[in-house]
Amino acid sequence: MEIEIQLTPSPIVEKISPPSGLGAWVEFRGVVRAEENGAPIAALAYEAYSEMAGREIRRLLENICERHPCLAARVIHRLGVVPVGEAAIYVGVASRHRAEAFALLGEFMDRLKQDVPIWKRRALEAVPPSSKPNQTTLRTPPPHIQSLDEAIEKIQARCHLLPAERVPLAEAFGRVLRETVCATEDLPPFDCSTRDGFAILADDPSELFQLVDTIHAAGWQPRQLKSGEAVRMATGAPLPCGGLRVVMQENVERHGDLIKIPKSGSAPNVRLRGAEVKAGATLVPAGARLDAGRLALLATAGCVQPLVSPRLRVAHFTTGDEIIPPDETPQPGQIRDCNSLLIRNLLQPWPCEIFQAHLPENFARAKQEIESRKTEIERADLVLVSGGASVGEKDFTRPLLEWLGFEIVFSQVNLRPGKPLIFGVTGSRVAFGLPGNPLSHFVCFYSAVAIALACLKGESAPAFLRGRLATQLDEPPCPRETLWPAKLEYFGGEIRLQPLVWSSSGDVICFAAANALLHVPANQSPIAAGAEVDFLPATSILGK
Amino acid sequence: MRVLFFAQLQDVTGCAAMELASSCPIDREKLWANLLQKFPGLQAHRGNVRLARNWEYTDAATLFNDADEVALIPPVSGG
Repeated sequence: MEIEIQLTPSPIVEKISPPSGLGAWVEFRGVVRAEENGAPIAALAYEAYSEMAGREIRRLLENICERHPCLAARVIHRLGVVPVGEAAIYVGVASRHRAEAFALLGEFMDRLKQDVPIWKRRALEAVPPSSKPNQTTLRTPPPHIQSLDEAIEKIQARCHLLPAERVPLAEAFGRVLRETVCATEDLPPFDCSTRDGFAILADDPSELFQLVDTIHAAGWQPRQLKSGEAVRMATGAPLPCGGLRVVMQENVERHGDLIKIPKSGSAPNVRLRGAEVKAGATLVPAGARLDAGRLALLATAGCVQPLVSPRLRVAHFTTGDEIIPPDETPQPGQIRDCNSLLIRNLLQPWPCEIFQAHLPENFARAKQEIESRKTEIERADLVLVSGGASVGEKDFTRPLLEWLGFEIVFSQVNLRPGKPLIFGVTGSRVAFGLPGNPLSHFVCFYSAVAIALACLKGESAPAFLRGRLATQLDEPPCPRETLWPAKLEYFGGEIRLQPLVWSSSGDVICFAAANALLHVPANQSPIAAGAEVDFLPATSILGK
Repeated sequence: MRVLFFAQLQDVTGCAAMELASSCPIDREKLWANLLQKFPGLQAHRGNVRLARNWEYTDAATLFNDADEVALIPPVSGG
């Protein structure tokens, strides 16, 4: 009998091909139910003694095969956290006729549940469903959008979550966690001392103590202490039994193995098992971006292959014949390209593979250029095109995206700056046509592209925050909703926003200083100094 | 010998594995005596824990050597 066994933390794939040329191929999948002992659960955590479990599965199969001759068997048992609805075990059995395969499979599952060292370690509680809006299919979309809210709503409705993957912790920085990770053990896992000192019974009235043991940080030396006995403890070392307190070494007089403890202070200096986290408690919720601290927590909890959002594949095109590389000297009518670098750097907080190219300002030639780069473009989750978004003669971004198969959801937003913003989708792939001016790039990235990135990755969308205007926003009423570049500062423990002076959407001086975008509703300016305003942080410094 | 603890037994021992020094082969009774001395809490589980030696279940006659990997297997619940 041919036997294949896998014990794996990865999901069991949907389709498994049977060996060819056989009469019967019987498959079984054991799927995690939505409740355990009457309570709703989100997942089960499995643990195995893998070296022995593999051997035991093989031994069982060979043993049962003597009575029910079969030709091949494949067993996959998933380990670690298995969400409700996913398979914890897969068994496929091949035989000449179905009766042997059914018999072997049935008996194997019975014996597996008795003998194979695999354990359902614990059930993880169900978490409330995510508040992400449902995918909705839009009717024929209006190509022009009147407000930023409406644009955000359309982006969220049309962006699909990308499939998750498991990666080693070392590769997980910046990814979005796609499963809720719970503690599989209490933290700390044992009662321990928080001081270098001497453990004694908490209510021991003695003054003189006999030193009976010494426990270092990695020591595990259980013993029941008696009145008048003390154990030397290192900080972090496991206590020998319950009901103890630790007296700091500075507060004792030691004479060889005899210790005198004056009756002063009764601080326990003990960290109890589970004091930080009880087994089963949520450590990091699904949807959290994995930063240094959260990754350290996952490492502590032994979650070494977290389920996370994939690295995003981005294709970015610049357009415009006036654009030259930054290291060249512009001739009359030319300008240096800053958008390539800008996009690359704005994407820094999201782990991505970025492919960048420049397209000639001629639709036919641009299509030729793209044909030669078809592979990179077709595998991109996100396509960005800088420039060519307006309605000028040579502005071909919209037809280009349509030619690439994207359905255009909108092609203009009544927003300042950044009006000619184009958004398209095809399947799970997303495209934006960004107005060519750098300040518009900056604004459209934070107000639109970042919303799409959050949806693709599975985190909550960047939200507007409240702050106070540092100086008056001196601007006559404008009929267009505006995202006004501003400098965020802390003043007297409060967030203050200094509106920056900008002359046009090409103003690079202004956006080099900007780290926030003030929301100015249509016809609401001027706004007085000290007024409360909504703003979008345009930097990752504000944190998570 | 290296002794491994699984599932709820880890809650009793506070660890997944330990080294147990033994100069000569010991039988099941002696092994349990050594383990209980270190982890008195295991007594409550002794009745339904099976012992494995080098990845196979043992029987009453099995002897445990210093180079062995020994595992305490509480009731399993895979599948």
